[in-house]
Amino acid sequence: MTAKTAEGKEIGKEERHYHPQATNCRDTKEKYGAQWKVANIRDTSIQPHQAKKETFEFDLPEGVRTADITVNLFYEAVNPDNKYPIHTITREVSLDKE
Amino acid sequence: MRIILLLLIATFFVMPLSNVEAQKAKTIDELAKMFDSSPCKSCHAEIYAQWEKSHHARPLMGVKGGLMLTPLALKKGEKGSTAFSEDDPKKMKIGNFPCFKCHLPQAVTHAEDSVAVELTEALLAKDSEKVAKLQITCIVCHNEKAIIHKRELGGPEKGVLYSVKEVTSHPDATFKTVKKSAIMNNSVYCGQCHGLGPNLEFDQAFQCANLYGSYLHNYVSGGGTQSCQECHMKKGDHLIAPNFNDEKQTSELLASALSLHVETLGYEWLRKANAYTPKVIVTTKITSNAGHRIPDG
Repeated sequence: MTAKTAEGKEIGKEERHYHPQATNCRDTKEKYGAQWKVANIRDTSIQPHQAKKETFEFDLPEGVRTADITVNLFYEAVNPDNKYPIHTITREVSLDKE
Repeated sequence: MRIILLLLIATFFVMPLSNVEAQKAKTIDELAKMFDSSPCKSCHAEIYAQWEKSHHARPLMGVKGGLMLTPLALKKGEKGSTAFSEDDPKKMKIGNFPCFKCHLPQAVTHAEDSVAVELTEALLAKDSEKVAKLQITCIVCHNEKAIIHKRELGGPEKGVLYSVKEVTSHPDATFKTVKKSAIMNNSVYCGQCHGLGPNLEFDQAFQCANLYGSYLHNYVSGGGTQSCQECHMKKGDHLIAPNFNDEKQTSELLASALSLHVETLGYEWLRKANAYTPKVIVTTKITSNAGHRIPDG
């Protein structure tokens, strides 16, 4: 999720990562690759029947009354550079009532 | 004389296959030939074309041409090597590639250790063409992996294919019959490889896919009733998507499985008199209609 001013200046950015995370059960380092992994120690993946809800909250800089919000959902395979876009949703948020 | 001639001709046609089946493959080419599915193409062209684009057709190639087994081929102690690596490629055995359990099951039952040596050398030489010969072919799924009730039903028979329906007369020189598989339209069939979690039966435990575990413990337990095949093999599609080499198709599949809902709120927070803090709140909700965790494999 990124938030920008009307001029395009980034004023907020947060990420959430959804995936099972495994170690070799001999140390505390997460492993990537079946030949090194032994068991999951944490699982933040998106499971059936279980919605993932998040709240992102940030303060607007002084004098800024609007923010352009972009939420990107994408899938990474093998490495973070190999992305498969899933959804992009944009919203404009204003503190001023029309 | 005519009978003897006929017997000789029959022997000529039958012996090569029975010899191959009786012996284990010594080379990658022999193993590939033993499970060659190219004859299926002439009658099942559409299914064959779907399979050719699938990850089943390149089970050792990873995503976008990667040689995923390379870490196992590296010399023991070398950076990136694994507990399954050896200090000399010539020492590699089938057992050094536990990934064969699912990525090349026919190697476990039908290959000599020399195939492991040849594969190791091919991986180190980055010989993608040779590695790509090793595939999960039609015969692997429709014979080797078709029966899980072996004590009751016996093992897969030679010369028999298994499918979702019986075909008493199958016009093929080797596989003349198609029997109905008890499990081929059931998720447990896919679960043989698309895993439950850690593979603890090996002397060095490791973990690959958890997908079937997620299906059982999070989808079925929540009331889900669809099978893997109902979602991933609609109309018998043997691509069995996703195909991660096709970015557009993969994005579309993921978008159909996951929905994203976003709400926003802008307001001025008041913590103490006359001290307003302008805030933006963004709430997101991702819901999934998949029958398993995402990501998994």
